[in-house]
Order: sequence, then structure tokens, then C-alpha cells
Amino acid sequence: MSDEIIRLKKAFMFQGLPEDVLAALAQKVNRRALTQGETLFNTGDEGDALYIIDEGWVKVTRQDEKGDELLLNRCGPGETIGEMSLLDQEPRSANVVALSDAHVMELHRDGFFELLDQRPDVAMGLIRSMSSRLRFSGMYFQKMGEWSRKIAEGDYSFMEQIQPLTGGDSNSDEEKASQMLSAFFLMVKGVKEREESLKRQVETLTLAIDEKKRRQEFEELTQTEFYTKLKIQAHELRQKRLDNKS
Amino acid sequence: MGKIVSIHSFRGGTGKSNTTANLAAQTALVAGKRVGVVDTDIQSPGIHVLFGLDENSMGKTLNDYLYGKCAIREVAYNVGEHADESGGRSQLAGKNLWLIPSSIRGREISRVLREGYDVGRLNEGLQTLISDLELDYLFIDTHPGLNEETLLSIAISDALLIILRPDQQDFQGTAVTVDIARSLDVANLLLMVNKAVPNKYDYVHLKEQIEKAYHAPLTGILPLNFDLADNASKDIFSLAHPDHEWSRELRKVAAAILAVE
Ligand SMILES: Nc1ncnc2c1ncn2[C@@H]1O[C@H](COP(=O)(O)OP(=O)(O)OP(=O)(O)O)[C@@H](O)[C@H]1O
Ligand SMILES: [Mg+2]
Repeated sequence: MSDEIIRLKKAFMFQGLPEDVLAALAQKVNRRALTQGETLFNTGDEGDALYIIDEGWVKVTRQDEKGDELLLNRCGPGETIGEMSLLDQEPRSANVVALSDAHVMELHRDGFFELLDQRPDVAMGLIRSMSSRLRFSGMYFQKMGEWSRKIAEGDYSFMEQIQPLTGGDSNSDEEKASQMLSAFFLMVKGVKEREESLKRQVETLTLAIDEKKRRQEFEELTQTEFYTKLKIQAHELRQKRLDNKS
Repeated sequence: MGKIVSIHSFRGGTGKSNTTANLAAQTALVAGKRVGVVDTDIQSPGIHVLFGLDENSMGKTLNDYLYGKCAIREVAYNVGEHADESGGRSQLAGKNLWLIPSSIRGREISRVLREGYDVGRLNEGLQTLISDLELDYLFIDTHPGLNEETLLSIAISDALLIILRPDQQDFQGTAVTVDIARSLDVANLLLMVNKAVPNKYDYVHLKEQIEKAYHAPLTGILPLNFDLADNASKDIFSLAHPDHEWSRELRKVAAAILAVE
């Protein structure tokens, strides 16, 4: 069995395919290397291929109009990405960037549809994986709604409970969605803190002068012999300096 | 004729000495003026440290002049000739800047406290200094509060810079000082806030309040500055850290003083 076939066998979408089909498929895929941080595609790009992750991890993100990144998902070995554009012929709906050095297998539109024509079980596998993505999206938006409501109520305590992902399949959709959303909500928290510090800035300091005390102190200081003399001296001195100038 | 600029605050520790040293340095360095600095805080002198002077390097002092032991000219320490090799002060090399320090010897300080001195003689000395050294500016670092020598330095000033911290006590105390300065016909009254906690208050509002209360311009709001406190008065901060907010605001104050007619 060739390396290519072994790799294709690991893909969830191709599970259960006989080896001769995999061998035919192996002719149609290109293996591509991605270095960490490299973009596979961007939102709005034309999409004429799907990718099966062979090794490494990628993140699926979108950007809001301020350029802040919203993390939608993280995908690893065996998972398929980019199939949506092939099916609905719309441009890419998200950005995909390699989180680590990675290898993907690229399958172009024609090869993909040819395969779907021949193998209804591949179509079933694809539908299964898309269903599970939809479920995840459901959880993702449920969390987002829940947390947005808490923030509207001024409750940020949930942020302390967000657990880091342990990796692998042991994470539930809920844990995974929480993780994905945490960066976004931390940013929201940051915005709130910035606003508060701005509010602090406009605290006004109102100072008052006790006029009675002011007059008293002035009188105490000026009703001395020293002060009377000083005032005369100062006057003379200024006069002298004025005369010097002219 | 050179101008006399006194730097004063009602309470102690507002930053008079640091401000005076920095204003003098900016005036000598940036504006290229001939500048003298007098420490009239005879009870608790401090500004000499900022110019790198200690007990060993200090020669004759203002105290010697006041008790008739020497001429005032002999007390003037030429900062430009003794500038350090490194640090902010090194920029003062060759500049026309003189310091007239007060004695830091305990015995000489206690004599001043016990006997006092002739403020008329202090006045004469300062006038002589201005003409002998052909000074454009003579900055006077004062003792806080309104004792006799401080009243004198206010009386002979062409400009008085009052420093206050943004708090109630300084606001009240400054009112009395302003009244005294007006009563003594000081022609130019300038204000400066120091140790303002960044972003704590609405400083635009504070400025309006201060200018309305005292009828004098607030020429700078200098932030509370841990780097300056950390510097422990060992260098001229605005020379060592020209890009710091404190230094930027200080240069505004210096510009306001230079603009005094
Ligand atoms: N903006 C500032 N931020 C933080 N510390 C400051 C600031 N200005 C001055 N200081 C510190 O406050 C202390 C008093 O400063 P300085 O000696 O200049 O004040 P002063 O008014 O001359 O005091 P005194 O009344 O004792 O003569 C020093 O330790 C100085 O480092
Ligand atoms: Mg001082």
C-alpha cells in the first residue's frame, strides 16, 4: 500500500472506502506543505478545492470590521476543510491559517464530484461530518448568546472558568466552543476595562477656597513691621530698576 | 537687566527644587541664556544634589556671604565647568549656569535658625550677582511657606512661579500666596501643577478652576513620575529623559517664563 493511500485512509470522509477507490483517488490529490502561520485561503477567495488535513493543525477564523479575529474552529488530522465552497459555489466563508507546520491533501472540484458520483458512501461520510460541524456551530452560538447576555448584565465571572483545551477528542463541543470564544470575550472584557479607565479620567476634582481663612492668614502675614518695610523696599527696588532701564 | 524668578509652594515637597533645577537647565541649555540658581532654602537646602554637588565638592556657600565672610561672586559655583561626563547633566558642559548653594553643615544651618540673617544683605547679594555675572535669569529655590526670606524673594521677583499639587490643602495655601504676591506687586504670576496622577482627574476642568480662582495662567501640569522619584534627585530629569511627559510639560513652563516681559 502506497503512502498516499495510507494517508487517505485516515481521512474521516474516506473511511470505509475500498483500496482500489483510494488508489484512484490518490492520483487526484496533491500533498501540500504549510509552514506555521501560512494562510491556506482567505474569506472571499474563489474556492475550487477542498483539503484534508494530514498532519498538523489549522485555525478557522473570521475578522470583524475592526480587524479583530474571531476564532471559529480548530481542525486537525483527518478533518476536511473547504468543502462548502465546492458544494454551494460561493466564495470562501472564513480564513484558514496553519497553527503549526502542517500537510494537507488538496482535492480539486472535478475529482471531488467524480468521486461523489461513484461513491454514495463518500457523500454520506461528508454529510456526517457536516452535521457534526453544524452541531458544533449550534453549541458555539448558544454559548455566544449565553455569554453576551451575562456581559449585558455586567457579569464577567464566567471568564475565570474557561478551561484550556486538553487536545485530542476528549473535549466536548461545549468545551471546545468555550475555548474558541474565549479570546473574543476577553477582548470584550478589555474594551470594558478601557472604557472604565476613560470614565475614571473624567472624575472631576472640585476645589474650594475658605475665603475667611484666606483673609485671616493674609492679615496675619501682612500686619507685621517686617512686611510693611518689605513692601516699601520692594517698591523702591522696582522703581530703581525701572529707572535703570530707561 | 536680568529677571528674578522665584519658585515657591505653600507646602513642602511639591517639587520646587526639581522644578527650579530643570527650568534653569532648560533656560541655559535650550535658550542659551546666562542663568543663576540660588538656594534660599537655608533651613533645608537640597538643590545642590541635582547639580551633582556634595559636602566635599561644595566650596563657599550663601551662608558665608550672609555672615560677611566672602563676596557673593565667590559663592557662585560654575555648573558648566564641572559638568559630568555622562548623564543628563553632561549636556550642561560649557553652558553659562551658576549655582549659589546653601550650606549643608549642621552648625551653619543652626546658626541661621538661631540668629536669622539680614534679608537686606541677601537682596544686595542677588542684585550684585545679576550684574557681576551678567545674568539673564536668576532662579530662586525657596523654603516652603511664607517666612521672611521667602517674602523677600517674592518681593524682589519679576516673576513668581507657584507650584501646587492637585489637592485641597495646596489650593487653599496657594490662594494666600497669590494674595501676598499681588500685595507685593509681583508683575508676573505663573502657576504649575506637579505630581498629578495621570488619568485620575479631568485636568482640563482643573486648569479652568485654578485659573479662574487665581487669575493667573497654569503653565503646565506635570505628572506624578516614579522615574523622577527613583532618580532620587541625582540628575536633571528633563535632560536625562527629554521625551517623558514630565519633561514635555516642564518645557511648557520654561517657555512661559521665557515669554515674561
Ligand atoms: N512629579 C513628581 N513625581 C514623583 N515624585 C516627585 C515629583 N516631583 C518631585 N518628586 C519627588 O518629591 C520629593 C520632593 O521634591 P523636591 O525636593 O523637588 O521638592 P521641594 O518642594 O523642593 O521639597 P522641599 O519643600 O522639601 O524643599 C523628591 O523626593 C522628588 O524626587
Ligand atoms: Mg527644596
